[in-house]
Amino acid sequence: MLSEKQEWLSQAADNKPVTPEQLSALLTQPELQQTVQRYQLTGAIMRNEADSVLPVDFSDTFASLLDQEPTYQLQAQRSLLQKVKMGVRQAANAEWFKPAAHGAIAASVALVAVLGVQQYQQPLEADLSMPSPVLQTRPVAGFATPVSLSQTSVDSRFEAQEQQAMQEQQRRLQALLQAHRQQVRITEVQPTTAATAEQEPREHK
Amino acid sequence: MMKWLFGMCCLVVLNMVMPAYADGTGWVLFDKVQASVRQHNFDVSYVVLKGGQAETYRWLHGRDGEADIEHLIPMFAEGVDIVRRNDRVYYLLAERPSLITRSERIKELPALLFEEPAKIRKLYDAVAGSSSMIDGRSAQLLRLSAIDETRYHYWLWVDVETGFPLRIDTLAEQDQSSQNRALETWQVTHLRITPEMPGSLAQLLTIDLPDTTTAETTASVSTQQHELSWLPAGFDIIPEPLHVPQLTPEVLSYWLLSDGLHQVSVFVQRSHQLPTQAYRDGAVTIFVQSDAQRDITVIGPINVDVAQRLAAAVR
Repeated sequence: MLSEKQEWLSQAADNKPVTPEQLSALLTQPELQQTVQRYQLTGAIMRNEADSVLPVDFSDTFASLLDQEPTYQLQAQRSLLQKVKMGVRQAANAEWFKPAAHGAIAASVALVAVLGVQQYQQPLEADLSMPSPVLQTRPVAGFATPVSLSQTSVDSRFEAQEQQAMQEQQRRLQALLQAHRQQVRITEVQPTTAATAEQEPREHK
Repeated sequence: MMKWLFGMCCLVVLNMVMPAYADGTGWVLFDKVQASVRQHNFDVSYVVLKGGQAETYRWLHGRDGEADIEHLIPMFAEGVDIVRRNDRVYYLLAERPSLITRSERIKELPALLFEEPAKIRKLYDAVAGSSSMIDGRSAQLLRLSAIDETRYHYWLWVDVETGFPLRIDTLAEQDQSSQNRALETWQVTHLRITPEMPGSLAQLLTIDLPDTTTAETTASVSTQQHELSWLPAGFDIIPEPLHVPQLTPEVLSYWLLSDGLHQVSVFVQRSHQLPTQAYRDGAVTIFVQSDAQRDITVIGPINVDVAQRLAAAVR
């Protein structure tokens, strides 16, 4: 039924004759008129007869739609140039900057908070739960058993204390690791032999 | 008889010449690696594998006449950019103060790619190895074997075409059975070498970076309360290391040691009565030795035995 209706409508769009009943239906039913209009537009486009399929006021409508759009503050995640332009002008260590840089305070904390924690804490936590040779609390030969979260205890209070001590130990080691990394970062290596150190003779093969 | 003698003489001469030739080839290849990372314009992505943990970086480098610029982006740390412009290194942090140091290299990159070959030759033998394929590129193995057995070894796979390092393994032992047990693996995942420097670097060359033109201060040398009576072979103490203000109340003594390529820290703190422990973060050992009076923490790319001996050398 539907295909029959569309068939005579399509024919009507192509200027084929229609019956009086079909013509009266077309004149009385707006939906049929719209369908014919669409068919005619499609045919016109296929015959390259249409100058534009867009309404005349398309640009005005689109401009008004754009005006109504909310403003999004989208920034590229890694836009370093933008970041620098936005005001990262003054170095945290500007007051103490020198060739053999000494005394990093604020910047060291800021940087290692990002780099250090991820490099250290993640494997530490992961390895506590599985016996891997990487960054685990493994006992060194001849020493006491290290504190480990994987150890079990019948005394839950003791376990809680142990965990707290372990976390404190991790926090302290993490701070030292950060301090070490910061030292490496800012120290220009120009070693000299220390007076207090007794060095072993170096052998070269 | 004469032919036999001649053959024997040839064999003897070959035996004497071959090792020297191998060493020479190794150092030539190593020089090519260092030249490659200093001279090429490139955009590289690499990953550092530490056991089950992976850290991804993007590394860009450009040279234009005298201008030398480098940009390292730790992809796992949001908002951190490390830029080196000639001899200044800028640690630029999102919405936080930046850090500036003076250095010819970014310390987060593998030191052996940048340190003076003379320093490295004192510590390592370079031997060129076999060829293989790394990520579809023809690569030659270069073994840096530590002269001192306690020091870690490095195996580099070098791109035959460009000399660029494609992979660096840090190994505690070099025997074949432990070939796949690298303490740390540095591996390039994407390599693009271009005639011109990457566009973003050209912009970074001219942009105003954080200011360093302010008064300089001198370091306050803290009084060491202890002595270090032994150093690992090849290591020296760095004079006047950085004062660590945030740790001052806790750190009683501190030493920074270096062999020119690796750095080791020794911290002495009051005792926290905790058991002796050893941790490892990739090739970095963290060793803690505790007694009733003090905790000694040794951190650096050394094996546990050396760390333990260093801790025991604190008097």
